Amino acid sequence: MDSIVFESVSKIFRHRPALFNWLGNERTEPTVALHDISLNVRSGSVLALLGPNGSGKTTMLKVISTMLLPDKGSVRVHGADTRNEPQRVRGCVGFAVAGERSFFPRLTARENLDFFAALDDVGPKLRKARIEITLARIGLLDAADTLAMKFSAGMYQRLAIARALFKQPAVILLDEPTRSLDPAARTDVWDLVRELSMDGTTVVIATHDFQEAATVADSVAVLHQGKMVSYREITGFNAGDVRSLYFQGAGELAPSDADFLVESWQ
Amino acid sequence: MSLPTLADKIMAILRRDLLTAVRYRSAFMLTATGTMAELAAFYYLSRAVGPGFRPEGLDYFSFLLVGTGFYTFLVMGIHSFLQAVQEAQQNGTFELLMTTATPPPVLILLSATSAFSRSTVQLLLYLGAGLLIFKGALPRPGIAASLLIFVLSLIIAAAIGMMAAALQVAIQKGSVVLWVLGSGAWLLTGTLFPVASLPPPLRLVAQLIPITHALDSMRVALLQGASVLALSREIGILSLFCAVLLPLGLMMFSYTLRKARQEGTLSSY
Repeated sequence: MDSIVFESVSKIFRHRPALFNWLGNERTEPTVALHDISLNVRSGSVLALLGPNGSGKTTMLKVISTMLLPDKGSVRVHGADTRNEPQRVRGCVGFAVAGERSFFPRLTARENLDFFAALDDVGPKLRKARIEITLARIGLLDAADTLAMKFSAGMYQRLAIARALFKQPAVILLDEPTRSLDPAARTDVWDLVRELSMDGTTVVIATHDFQEAATVADSVAVLHQGKMVSYREITGFNAGDVRSLYFQGAGELAPSDADFLVESWQ
Repeated sequence: MSLPTLADKIMAILRRDLLTAVRYRSAFMLTATGTMAELAAFYYLSRAVGPGFRPEGLDYFSFLLVGTGFYTFLVMGIHSFLQAVQEAQQNGTFELLMTTATPPPVLILLSATSAFSRSTVQLLLYLGAGLLIFKGALPRPGIAASLLIFVLSLIIAAAIGMMAAALQVAIQKGSVVLWVLGSGAWLLTGTLFPVASLPPPLRLVAQLIPITHALDSMRVALLQGASVLALSREIGILSLFCAVLLPLGLMMFSYTLRKARQEGTLSSY
């Protein structure tokens, strides 16, 4: 069964320039963030979204989470349309955003989780135990009573993952989840993703890390300037294979090619 | 949404706001000091004006005490909706809050419940300090009418607050518009002096502002002990404002939220 279905999804961001735009010369042309994307993500599988900065990875995650509405096409999550049944979608999606600014700075990690869990309909009896388990699982139990504003970038990232896991959703969206993590914590997150997948949770992960994609993902979608240039199963792929796939799709120069050009020029 | 679930969410929001407030240690003391200074200013203003000035037959300090106290309560309540959105935009939680299992309009209303609770405590302290320290007088308050007017005014403030929140989502600088409107309302609603002192065209405009009716009827109920029956016309007007403004506020908020999702400006601030 398909957990997430994209059907010809397009998303364009229009820029409304400021008054007296000649003062600052702000961009006025629209940005095509997603162009005619169609794909199906199997329940319990892990999809890695790869692509250069600004290629549309985060936009795809936001469209799934209902933070953004598509301009054209439709997105369905567990059969619910993100445009027409957003509350049903929100009930089954957990989103670990990439930015550090997504918590109440003067609440502790435990208090932040408790607050968001209450809004996500996790009952008070369940919350206490789940907070302990989730914080322990993500390696933040020692910092449970520290104010969020005192967290490092990596700690924020782990707390964001904890928040996404907390309501035990059927779909988890991870936006560059290991960007600021140390190698041991990164491996922990990879193990966690594989465990979630084995338990039947669908995971969509936006990443720049080929090793990460090869380790955790069942399939990869390569995005470039809002278009999906490649989409395939990657069972048995290593980081090098994913890297080749990426550079074929994204149409960028692989580092070895770039080195060759530099050498020729010299 | 079941009642226990709703209560759980309200408690979570109250707890968040209380913890945040107490962790800004100096803010509470500064607010209290500011309030006392304001009361003292009104006290000496009323003494300077002299006992001969009795707007609508009321003692001027008591007129100011109820007028400014209730006006501040309503305006702070309206502003709290905008502030809830603005703070969430600034600390990066807005997108996430708008995608929880709690429908966004419900969440904004619940957030305002917490802000109104805080404002109610502040109003009671303000009135209490005015009565005890500065010897204001509520000779025979009409409790039933006061409570009814309080509840209706609360609903109106919530409705205008939803519009303010919508404005913040739409233009991200809603506080500027609210400041302009607030300044106008301060002049027109009879907070410091009776509306009858205004020229006829402005008096007409004042009648179109719900806060004018809220302040006027609250004064009559609290300071002259008017009954619900005696205030039936004003209560009818306030009820009409509630019936029109509340659905309008909810519609505006839902519309701007949807538009922000479409345009990708949900996290802009």
